[in-house]
Amino acid sequence: MRSAARLLGAAVLVAAVYALPRLLGGSVLVYSTCATIAIFAVMAYGTDMVLSYLGEVSLGHTIFWAGGAYVAALLATRAGANGWVTAAAAVAAALVLAVVLGVATLRTREFVFSLVTYAAAVVAMEVAFNWAALGGSDGIVGIPRLSLPLPGFTFSGSASAELWPLALGLLVVTVLFIHRFRRSRLGLAALMVQMHPDLAATLGLDPRLVRLRVFMLSAPVSALAGWLYAYQRAYVGPDMFEAYFLVLMLTAAVLAGRRVLLGPVIGTALILLQQNYLSLGGDGDRIVLGLVLASILIFWPQGLVGLWHLVARRRSARPDPSAPGEAAAERA
Amino acid sequence: MNVAQQLINGLALASGYACVAIGWTVLLGAARLVNFAHGQLYMLGAFVAWAAMHRAGLPYWASIPVAVAAVGLLGAAMQRLMGRLMLEHNLTSLMIVTLGFGYVFQGAAARLFGGEPQTLASPLARGTIRMGELWLSPQDLLVFGVTAALFALIWFVLEKTRVGATVRAVAEDPKLAQLFGIDASLVYLGVFVFEAATVAFAAALVAPRSPILTSMGFDEVILTFVVVVLGGVGSVLGTLAASLGLGLFTAFFGALVSPAYTTAAAFAVVLAVLVLRPGGLAAR
Amino acid sequence: MTSPAVLACRGLGARYGASTALADVTLEVGASQMVGVVGANGAGKSTLVNALAGWSRGRPVTTGEVWLDGEPMAGVSAHERARRGLVLVPEGKGVFQELTVEENLGLVRPVADPAGRHVWTRDDVLGLFPRLGERRRHRGGALSGGERQMLALARALLAAPRVLVLDEPSIGLAPRLVLDLLVTVRRLVDRGLSVLLVEQNVRAAFEVVDRVFLLERGRVVGHGATDAMRGDPRIVEAYLGALVP
Repeated sequence: MRSAARLLGAAVLVAAVYALPRLLGGSVLVYSTCATIAIFAVMAYGTDMVLSYLGEVSLGHTIFWAGGAYVAALLATRAGANGWVTAAAAVAAALVLAVVLGVATLRTREFVFSLVTYAAAVVAMEVAFNWAALGGSDGIVGIPRLSLPLPGFTFSGSASAELWPLALGLLVVTVLFIHRFRRSRLGLAALMVQMHPDLAATLGLDPRLVRLRVFMLSAPVSALAGWLYAYQRAYVGPDMFEAYFLVLMLTAAVLAGRRVLLGPVIGTALILLQQNYLSLGGDGDRIVLGLVLASILIFWPQGLVGLWHLVARRRSARPDPSAPGEAAAERA
Repeated sequence: MNVAQQLINGLALASGYACVAIGWTVLLGAARLVNFAHGQLYMLGAFVAWAAMHRAGLPYWASIPVAVAAVGLLGAAMQRLMGRLMLEHNLTSLMIVTLGFGYVFQGAAARLFGGEPQTLASPLARGTIRMGELWLSPQDLLVFGVTAALFALIWFVLEKTRVGATVRAVAEDPKLAQLFGIDASLVYLGVFVFEAATVAFAAALVAPRSPILTSMGFDEVILTFVVVVLGGVGSVLGTLAASLGLGLFTAFFGALVSPAYTTAAAFAVVLAVLVLRPGGLAAR
Repeated sequence: MTSPAVLACRGLGARYGASTALADVTLEVGASQMVGVVGANGAGKSTLVNALAGWSRGRPVTTGEVWLDGEPMAGVSAHERARRGLVLVPEGKGVFQELTVEENLGLVRPVADPAGRHVWTRDDVLGLFPRLGERRRHRGGALSGGERQMLALARALLAAPRVLVLDEPSIGLAPRLVLDLLVTVRRLVDRGLSVLLVEQNVRAAFEVVDRVFLLERGRVVGHGATDAMRGDPRIVEAYLGALVP
């Protein structure tokens, strides 16, 4: 009965969030902010899968994000493909890129993996910027309305208000996907490789193969976010490879706390709300974002959730008398 | 395409890459730390030098130590903030923190120095030295000479002095170093400041070649990464050799194929190397 | 009244997560004395010496107090303890393999204030271990096990120790070398050095130490002068018969 109650609770939450933009006034800014939060959160979940569960740092998810968007844009503008085709193509492109990068770094050390993904993103930006076929520095403009033909009716949209249901839907599907991933064999294997590498080795888990599989599984997530973003913005350009998205993904992943299911959503929401409503100017926002990312890891590695626990513990408990000398002698 | 000219261009590029990469690879070798703010520190080195010249009216030669000192101090500040993470060897968090810092530097630089391209005007950058059909910029000659001297100095310190032995000891086993009475965190601080100072120094010398932007720095990280993977982590000689290879590759690829895609091509080569030799070319 | 101990601990304990590796250990090493700590594998011997040195390769939580020449070591980091004269030669890897013999020895800085400490010079140390002089330019990794142990010991002496803590120096050494090493150390003790020796080779240890502490599952279950401990039934039973002097 508890799981039925939880399911009901989740459904109510989703419905409430769906109605939220309208309740907040229904303006273009509100819908745009909400849709963007949903899309960026999905993008962040891709990086979060690798970071929180595998414990490694992929700095290349911007490639999947931007790559998915570019593929969708190209097919939509040059071939008039509908939403299903562009989505499938985005996923396929992400998988291909993930395989290339993943196999290249299969036997390397962790930091080389991070470096390669980082370099790949920078190189991809350069290629997109220079290659005329991809629109060069101007990018691809004039992306048509998203059209998802279904039996009976066609879902279509291009403004944030119209795409909002789809954005929220994509976010919900992503959260469910992560929820399943956490309990799956691969998810548990990833956690074990991160927490107890020796134990994982004795169980016959190859950390490098686990890394490859998680990396490949996480790529389409960010790619689908990019796919939807292409339609929302109706424009795709090399700016989608910028460090901004990478820093945002990482901050969203660590802000709320590691392995918190709704962590990336909360993180993304906080960041975008600051940018849209408390902006310090483009450069100022960059400074804020970078400082938040660095500060969390230096001062509060458990994120906001950890901070919450700390406060809760301090308020409910008196100093524990049962462990003499425990606090006094933490030094080894 | 004149092969001899491309060789000269390649050497000029190579010495620039070597100068940019050496601090990073020593830091990586000694502390196993990847500093993703490296590119932004390079950018700051260039811009502090530029500001010293344009806002404080200093001559080019005086702006170099200013840049080195300022960025070196910044490096020290970074290390002090990351100190606990370094002692815990939390390499994942350290990577992300440096990335965050780099982003902060980018935003701060844009605030302080603006978004327009600037030129770091070195008196040597404008002339040319001609040797028959070939030409060379005096600035390139300076970079080449200084880099060679710098590398000789670093190699000497690392291999022949007690300071160098201490750094190598901490690189091998920081825990054991403590039993020898070595304060590992002090060594980390020193190596971090070294990295920041040398990259700023490299920037002051190399940046006059082309316009500087506060949004730059990413290319420098890629090239440094390529050099390190090919040359081996922490290896001074390896860095030199790999820089040479990369410099020549860039010159010839740029002349034969296209200058815009040289970074992409170099990256592709590195990927191929990694598949065959995951430890890099210099791995034992 | 006996002179204050050079190295002392009281109530020393160490936990790794939920498991207790060491509990309530109290011992001391007096001036010019060699104290042995024996026990089965896993009894906590290495944890003990690591806790004394303020060092470990893992992350244990330690309790209790440690004093060096009467000075409390609470809050003093491992490298600072080493500088002050609490010199540990760890089990297994005690030298840097990438550095030469010369460089390993050169890492040790001369002590600023040698009062109360035993100062060995380069020449003293090379006189004790002439083999090291011959292999001066060889990398640590190229030495034999015995030579590496000599190097570790030589380095420790150069650090002008107040007390030398040796963690299982006999591991990986041929039996004859073991006795040679321990006898060399004993001679240093006779010249004034204080040594805490952790050894699994109980027979050899009993040849050279003045007092013995028996460790079992992280606790001290017996201690006394060497001769008295020789007849201790636990030692006799565990270590293959009585140890005839």
